[in-house]
Amino acid sequence: MTSYMGKFLIIDLSRQEASAAVLNPGIQKLLIGGKGVGAKILYDLVPEGCDPLGDENVLVFMTGPLTGTQAPAMRGCVIAKSPLTGTFADSYYGGHFSPEIKYAGYDGIVIRGRASSPVYVWIDDDKVEFRSASHLWGKDTFATNWLIKNELVDKSIKVACIGPGGENLVRFALVSCEYNRQAGRGGMGAVMGSKNLKAIAVRGNHIVRVKDSDTFRKAVHKAYSEMNENTTGAFTLEGTAGSIPFANEIGLLPSRNYYDGTFDKAESIGPEAQRKKLWYRDLACAGCPIRCSKMGKIRSGKFAGTISDAVEYELLGLLGSNLEISDIRAITHLASRCDALGLDGMSAGGVIGFAMEAFEKGLIRPSDADGKELRFGSVEAADYLIDAIAFRKGELGRTLGEGVRQAAGKFGGEAEGFAVHIKGLEYPAWGPRGVPGMALALATADRGGCHQRGFPILAEIEGEWNGKTIEQLGLKHKGEMVAHMQNYLAALDTLVKCDFAQYGIQEDTYREMLAAATGTEFSFEELLALGDRIWNMVKCFNVREGFERKDDTLPRRFMEEPLPSGPCKGHRITGEDLKTLLDDYYRARGWDSDGKPLPETLERLDLVEERVLFKE
Amino acid sequence: MSYLIGHFDKCTGCSICQLACSERTHGGFNPRFGNLDIRMSDDALVHHPFVCHQCENAFCEKVCPASAISRDGESGALVVDREVCVGCGTCADACPINMIRVVGKKAYKCDLCGGEPECVAVCPAGAIELIVKTVNAEVMP
Repeated sequence: MTSYMGKFLIIDLSRQEASAAVLNPGIQKLLIGGKGVGAKILYDLVPEGCDPLGDENVLVFMTGPLTGTQAPAMRGCVIAKSPLTGTFADSYYGGHFSPEIKYAGYDGIVIRGRASSPVYVWIDDDKVEFRSASHLWGKDTFATNWLIKNELVDKSIKVACIGPGGENLVRFALVSCEYNRQAGRGGMGAVMGSKNLKAIAVRGNHIVRVKDSDTFRKAVHKAYSEMNENTTGAFTLEGTAGSIPFANEIGLLPSRNYYDGTFDKAESIGPEAQRKKLWYRDLACAGCPIRCSKMGKIRSGKFAGTISDAVEYELLGLLGSNLEISDIRAITHLASRCDALGLDGMSAGGVIGFAMEAFEKGLIRPSDADGKELRFGSVEAADYLIDAIAFRKGELGRTLGEGVRQAAGKFGGEAEGFAVHIKGLEYPAWGPRGVPGMALALATADRGGCHQRGFPILAEIEGEWNGKTIEQLGLKHKGEMVAHMQNYLAALDTLVKCDFAQYGIQEDTYREMLAAATGTEFSFEELLALGDRIWNMVKCFNVREGFERKDDTLPRRFMEEPLPSGPCKGHRITGEDLKTLLDDYYRARGWDSDGKPLPETLERLDLVEERVLFKE
Repeated sequence: MSYLIGHFDKCTGCSICQLACSERTHGGFNPRFGNLDIRMSDDALVHHPFVCHQCENAFCEKVCPASAISRDGESGALVVDREVCVGCGTCADACPINMIRVVGKKAYKCDLCGGEPECVAVCPAGAIELIVKTVNAEVMP
């Protein structure tokens, strides 16, 4: 008895057929769960060079081995080839959808093909039904969730769905997972939309059991105390909004489409503003004691009555300071619109910032935008653009819905200079000019410009990592440090951990919970090797798709324009800096100078042997 | 006489109470099998913990055709004697707040863990509280 459910659900939308399959135990042993097994599924099932929005792409909902148990803060991930970047993409979400997949008896759901008309899939344990979604097409994510529950006459059903953004193939559309937790990054919602799949509804009546209950319970309670003792208390108090004053102080908070790294009205978008104008109470994901989110209702002003969860740091940055919008109620409204229409608010903020700069530089005229003035600071403009993008209204909405990279290509000329993305993924709200290690982590992140695959900022500010002295603006040890952090987080991403909980839960406790639940024992070195293996597995997918050294780069803005203000004023990441960082990093990884894994590296990580994916 | 109350102002919807209860009752995890429930309302503005009231005029006890439900003298909880329970589900039907589960032809409900409820112990937010009544002032004027 382990906390794995022992089977996958394979859904073929073209034939409207569903079947169960058993994963090769060798693959499970080698890659464990979420990120690792998902990467293997994608590598084996997605043909090289396929159109991410064509019916050959595969969409995988993965759980982790501890998801659905009492192990704190275990989540789910959606994996597919990204329509935004063309890379492997794994998008993580909290909430209650992923545990329900386990309760229905599956470790993951693999979705292939394309339905001929809109459908949703209703999974009631072993019973799988394909139901028409024509009446749901066009509905926002909140309405879709409730309409499905009403239709199936059970409010306890868990739903993952797309909004109009996903239906209209906006390349940064999200999947909204029970309840209002977003698999946001990389356009997983567009992949769902391209398959004519509006939603998945799940009800599970299986019990998830662990191998050794007593040891497991002890490990869970150890994790609880570690979360209490360590930094997760700050997340409990004010979520990630608390990072606003910190990021502003160190000059990493984007403003005016990343032109600057400080925002003079940062205080008005910080946690105190939300506490005063929005929050009622704390909200948590399944099994998580941190409760980093908050729920509330806007009390006054134009957006009074809006019910929303807390606006977290990334959206405060990208829909707030980056657009020079400082009214917390307006930012809440914009974030909530993105959630409802099914757009990744981070990418949407990046795209809107780009459009506002393009407008101020004369590349977009009012006549392109129904007469609207798309100026920084205009809530009306941001609101207009969110709608135009989600519904692909007019030439501008169609262009911006393709993401910053493609829009810049279309505008041409100087637009490339302020298109802030890496590999096509719009950038997070952490400007990297004062933190070269973070710049490297972003340049080498597997799904494009993502801050969650390694976050060296804290070590760079603190000046110490693994007993080594780190200089914030220096380059020394940063290649090795980034590779190490990516390996550790990739290993935890295969457990499908939460980014915040891992600041509290110690590595030995993760290993103890895994061992007690599944019988799989790891040393710390083996855990890092697992992460290394998974990182290289994903890299093999990206290399096969044609990614190489030239793609591991930074937006021109961060390489050519020095920071105008803040403590790192005048700093930028030069071409020479990037070269040094990448050389060190590739060496630490065992990759060649073009950023491709060497044969001996793949051999060392046991990635050479051919392994059959599923036993039918 | 003891019973639990749930506080919607503190509940975070994390389901840790349900997971712990499910494990204690059935040896594994699924919130549906916990003997308490969390219901979301107002576009998720509120999560409301629903717990057994250990009613004084208990419908479940009243309707059981096998007389399998009775009050435990020590904890004050209404408990199911599963040796006697015939699994008909009449008690589950009678409970208007859906606090009884029938699993494997046997009824399960909150027994207050014999007086020290696990849900109260594990809730990180203090959203479930054990009330111990000494004098029943409301119904005995």
